[in-house]
Amino acid sequence: MNAVIALCHFCEIHGPRVLFCTQAHHAAEPQHVLDSKGEEYPSTFGHHFHKRPRSSTNESLSSVSSDLTTCSSASSTEHCEACRSFQPGQPGFISNDHEAKISYISSQNPEHPELFTIIRQACIRSLSCENCQGREGPIFFGEDYYGYTLSYMFIIKDTQARGLQRGYSIIVVMMDKIYLLNSWPFLVKHMKSLIDELKSKSNKVYEQEQTQRNQRAERLHREFLSPGDFYRGGVNKPFRALVVLTGDANLFKYLHMRFSWILKAGGNRITEKVLEGPPLEEAVDLDDEEVTEEGFIKVSTKPAVPSSPENPSQSEGHQSEDELEGDEGPVFSSLQHLRAVLGSLNFHDVAYNVLIGNQLIARADCKSTLKSLFKVLKVILPAGCCRIISHSPTYQASWKCNFLGLSTGTELPEHLITSEVYLLLDVISPVNLKQDSNRVVSRTAGPFKGHGISITSSSVVPDKVPTILSRIVTTLNNSDLTPEIVVTVLTTLKEEWMNKVKLLFKFTRAGSHTDEDTEKLLKILQAKVEDKPLLRFWITALSSQYRSHLLTSIMGTT
Amino acid sequence: MSSLEEGSGFGGDERYCVVGSFPQEFHYSQEGHNGEVKVSDSDARPRILLMGLRRSGKSSIQKVVFHKMSPNETLFLESTNKIVKDDINNSSFVQFQIWDFPGQMDFFDPAFDSEMIFGTCEALVYVIDAQDDYMDALAKLHVTVSRAYKVNPNIKFKVFIHKVDGLSDDHKIETQRDIHRRANEDLADAGLECIHLSFYLTSIYDHSIFEAFSKVVQKLIPQLPTLENLLNILISNSGIEKAFLFDVVSKIYIATDSSPVDMQSYELCCDMIDVVIDVSCIYGVEREGDESAYDSESSSIIKLNNSTVLYLKEVNKFLALVCLLREDNFDRQGLIDYNFLCFKKAIEEVFAIREKANGVERGADYAALTSDSLDNTQANGLVATKS
Repeated sequence: MNAVIALCHFCEIHGPRVLFCTQAHHAAEPQHVLDSKGEEYPSTFGHHFHKRPRSSTNESLSSVSSDLTTCSSASSTEHCEACRSFQPGQPGFISNDHEAKISYISSQNPEHPELFTIIRQACIRSLSCENCQGREGPIFFGEDYYGYTLSYMFIIKDTQARGLQRGYSIIVVMMDKIYLLNSWPFLVKHMKSLIDELKSKSNKVYEQEQTQRNQRAERLHREFLSPGDFYRGGVNKPFRALVVLTGDANLFKYLHMRFSWILKAGGNRITEKVLEGPPLEEAVDLDDEEVTEEGFIKVSTKPAVPSSPENPSQSEGHQSEDELEGDEGPVFSSLQHLRAVLGSLNFHDVAYNVLIGNQLIARADCKSTLKSLFKVLKVILPAGCCRIISHSPTYQASWKCNFLGLSTGTELPEHLITSEVYLLLDVISPVNLKQDSNRVVSRTAGPFKGHGISITSSSVVPDKVPTILSRIVTTLNNSDLTPEIVVTVLTTLKEEWMNKVKLLFKFTRAGSHTDEDTEKLLKILQAKVEDKPLLRFWITALSSQYRSHLLTSIMGTT
Repeated sequence: MSSLEEGSGFGGDERYCVVGSFPQEFHYSQEGHNGEVKVSDSDARPRILLMGLRRSGKSSIQKVVFHKMSPNETLFLESTNKIVKDDINNSSFVQFQIWDFPGQMDFFDPAFDSEMIFGTCEALVYVIDAQDDYMDALAKLHVTVSRAYKVNPNIKFKVFIHKVDGLSDDHKIETQRDIHRRANEDLADAGLECIHLSFYLTSIYDHSIFEAFSKVVQKLIPQLPTLENLLNILISNSGIEKAFLFDVVSKIYIATDSSPVDMQSYELCCDMIDVVIDVSCIYGVEREGDESAYDSESSSIIKLNNSTVLYLKEVNKFLALVCLLREDNFDRQGLIDYNFLCFKKAIEEVFAIREKANGVERGADYAALTSDSLDNTQANGLVATKS
């Protein structure tokens, strides 16, 4: 448990003081326990661990008095008997947990100056600022900067103290509020049992002293004998240490043991775990290899279209494509480039059709042009949605691919033109450029200068486009962004929407639900009506293995 | 620091409960309206800080003066470990907060919000244990005063040279002189001559602590000159030698006439209040549910064998007028009673104005009030005895 436990005392002379504090040092991370800022700090664990190798490994909490000499940072003159747990020069306590490679170290004050401030602050607040109902009991307070404290105040009887009692508190300081509050029942239970022990010990001593000489009577008596002078003697009397009050010489060793145990057991009680959503579909799909993560079975991707030729001709095409990699055709280098060539309106249409899964048929002279086109457009779709045939001599049906590359002049079948939803993009080389009413000639400098662009589409782009498209357009409009940043932005956008898709998928498969419920979910996901076609298409990106994983995994752990 | 404010919030709640348990007529001025005024008002309430080294007797003073603790019981007080805030606003006429500080801690430490502590405080009472070696206390006094002055130059500084019951009379004077000299020298050395310190010899075993606290509290009452004026008129017209206007609960006198205060007569008056309250407690309470031993009918006459008469009359729920007069002058008791009625009426008017004034234009109102009420009293026809 990344916490510091300390025993604090309101000293009659010095006010609130830290008496005894136990902290855990991890061998692996030499930083001190609370410091998230990662200041370098010598690892006491490592030091002692190597110096004193011990055979006992399972009995981890073996208390060893070590040569830890720098237990008290404050000079001894500032401490009286009552607010000191170790004599000057006396070593602190250390226990090594060899299995977990953790040292539990007890000293008067934490050595690390920053930690010292935090603990001291908590100590002052615990004893002198916060009010606890009934004076004894647990309270919680804190803030982000100085950490959070669970403080248990208690009173020890002392025949020689003012009011016949002295105030103490046990504090647990942690930076993690949630963890601390979740540990409340555990911590309070064990603090209370420890405090009860201390109190019963001290009560015995108190009773014994009271029977010997009744302090109350004596004080009144003394006062009447010499009014005014009654308490002079008491002022110079040293205030007694907790060891004396409880009559237990090994008290601090015992406290060390208890505190270390609380730290260890508290740490074992709740394990912190990073909560992760379902694994990224992209990560899974792009990997053809087996992906096995924490009970995640081997994911076999669907036969990827480009790499699994179904007919020889396509295979040939694939082959020749590789050979023709170097053909001189103009290539699209990025989405921005594509947008510049197509013009923003055309690009908008193309992107819309691509996003909702309509088939994009591109015709161009050079295969490298087609390849680069698909490569660039692929970025805006989840990997699972991309079924690319970058070049085919004949038309391929839309269930086979949503990106289809054809040679210029390849005829499209009649049924496609009449019935199906598609977008046809023609890149016409300057040589073949005819007087065509439908063409746009790219005039921008670059490889496409003089090329004609023609777009034919059977689908109508609605006024309201999916949210993600508007976001993509906004991103591309921003000229300050470098292509790398654009890719990153698009990736996060994709992830964001894929997560929605996953949720939606899980929800639709999770049993009966009404349309109303679906609407509610969409509202929560901030998905509007115009996003629906996109969501519907993107669900297909989830592989069957992935779907079953999503469905079988428990809600809480995904 | 935020943590310090938590206490005040808590205290506020507590006080609020107390308010609810009192009948409406227990409250004066602003108190009478409703709860909302109270809440917004609570922070503006004058604040008295009790500071000093540990064991100097701060908590004892607070307990004895405001909580009727027996001085012997203070032996069993435990050390104060946090700032104890005590609201003295509804149990008595005097309205203020007392903050009792733990002597062990340095509240000028950056961890504490000294602006919050000293910024709005009216008076700082520094307690020095006269029976102990007071050199440390003086050093701390100097630090406290100079720093608090920096935060808020309007603080009135009072030094209680406390526990003087153990000192002989000569020793008392000697101690006071020594402390006075050293403290002022320290301030002069630091170039802070402008800070005025008042010194009082106090002890919880006699009335000196009440007397000293009366002086502190009087400084917080803006109507003090008016009240003194009224008392002067009353005694000169009724043949009274000395008159105190007492806060019954704390036995602090909030005003007296301008003749010098004799410690003995003050003690006599204090004791008289105790007697009246004790007797009423035992024999006076008849009605069920009314726990108060002090009501509008309260009045008492005690004749002493040195031909002096002590005369106590109720002024309002929290105030009593206690007079010392020669037995000869007490012949015309009816006249005194009549004059007292006029006085009582005038007092009511003073606080009725305060209720209306609501804090704004205070000074002007009081100035006007002073002459008004004086005119009224005369118009009401105080009858002079020595005619």
